[in-house]
Amino acid sequence: MAERPFWTDSAWRRKLLGDAFGRGFWGFFAAAAATGLVCYWVKGPELFAEAIVRDFDALMAVLPRVMVALSVAALIWAMLPRDKLSGLVGREAGLTGLVIATIAGAITPGGPTSAYALLAVLAASGADRGAMVAYIASWATLGMQRVLVWDVPFMGAEFAIFRSLVSLPLPIVAGLIARRLPFELTVRRDAPPPPKGGEEFLP
Amino acid sequence: MSIGLAILLLVLAVLIALAVRRGEAALPITQRIVEQFAKLVPRMLCALVAAGFIAQLIPKEAISSFLGAEAGLIALPIAAAVGLIVPAGPVIAFPIAVVFAKAGASVPALVTFITSWSLFAMHRILIYELPLLGASFLRLRAVSVALMPFLAGALALLAGLLVSFGAPVTAH
Repeated sequence: MAERPFWTDSAWRRKLLGDAFGRGFWGFFAAAAATGLVCYWVKGPELFAEAIVRDFDALMAVLPRVMVALSVAALIWAMLPRDKLSGLVGREAGLTGLVIATIAGAITPGGPTSAYALLAVLAASGADRGAMVAYIASWATLGMQRVLVWDVPFMGAEFAIFRSLVSLPLPIVAGLIARRLPFELTVRRDAPPPPKGGEEFLP
Repeated sequence: MSIGLAILLLVLAVLIALAVRRGEAALPITQRIVEQFAKLVPRMLCALVAAGFIAQLIPKEAISSFLGAEAGLIALPIAAAVGLIVPAGPVIAFPIAVVFAKAGASVPALVTFITSWSLFAMHRILIYELPLLGASFLRLRAVSVALMPFLAGALALLAGLLVSFGAPVTAH
């Protein structure tokens, strides 16, 4: 049987509509409306109109970049084998191990579901604690999905590059600190599967 | 066209060429793009509009005196503390960063804020870190990365003395 395109599936379309305009969306919508009302009330119609014009300009600036960034993120997500990444992290000792963990964290595609699932695999396989900390710290601060989908559209390419460059050595520092801390680390070996759902971007 | 969009388009073109050469199935990738777009964009647009109104409402002097260049080093712990208490995903954190940038926050303060938020976002700790890795890992990690926001801000401060690069786009 030939595979039918995903958009012909009505259940998928309903879920998509729910994802786009579900309760979460109306919360954000209410916040926008409320701040707009307060702005009109406090600042008067003139400054309110000015804010509307600037909001529109901001949307027009951000929207194309977010669309391209999302496409980039999806392509990388599809092409980069996430399961092979975990095989790379935690094998090497010393500084090399931390550098590899930092690189792996930065290029792990997808949101927290992907990254924490990989971290749980590392923990269960008894990986070096410094590498684990460096990996997740790198994913949090340098993860390319965050930089592409959020830093570049909202703050601009220059800021995104600058922030990435100054953050580059820091996961390694965190890993070195983690190796020296005397804390006992008990990891769960029966970790539950990561929660599904609004995985990539949502609170 | 802005440099940000140009870079993104270039990366996209390279990736599409790579995907075509490798014979990747286009349908699942398209589906993922559509799904992510639906989950993200409507909320993001509302958050941006709200951020624009809030930027109009808050007194700019207050923000810039705490997070601006004139605040000096004290801006870094303040930015780190604010990043710590933003308990939500990037849909909320980045519009806040835009508001700060518009109100005159310095680049090191913005770097510190984003680093602090990205390392300590409470929703991620509660939904992912504690269930999957447990409290002992959280303790180890939190102490290990506690210095990172300040180091990032300090490096940004030092780099700012040497080069004038990294200013956020505050036109929008």
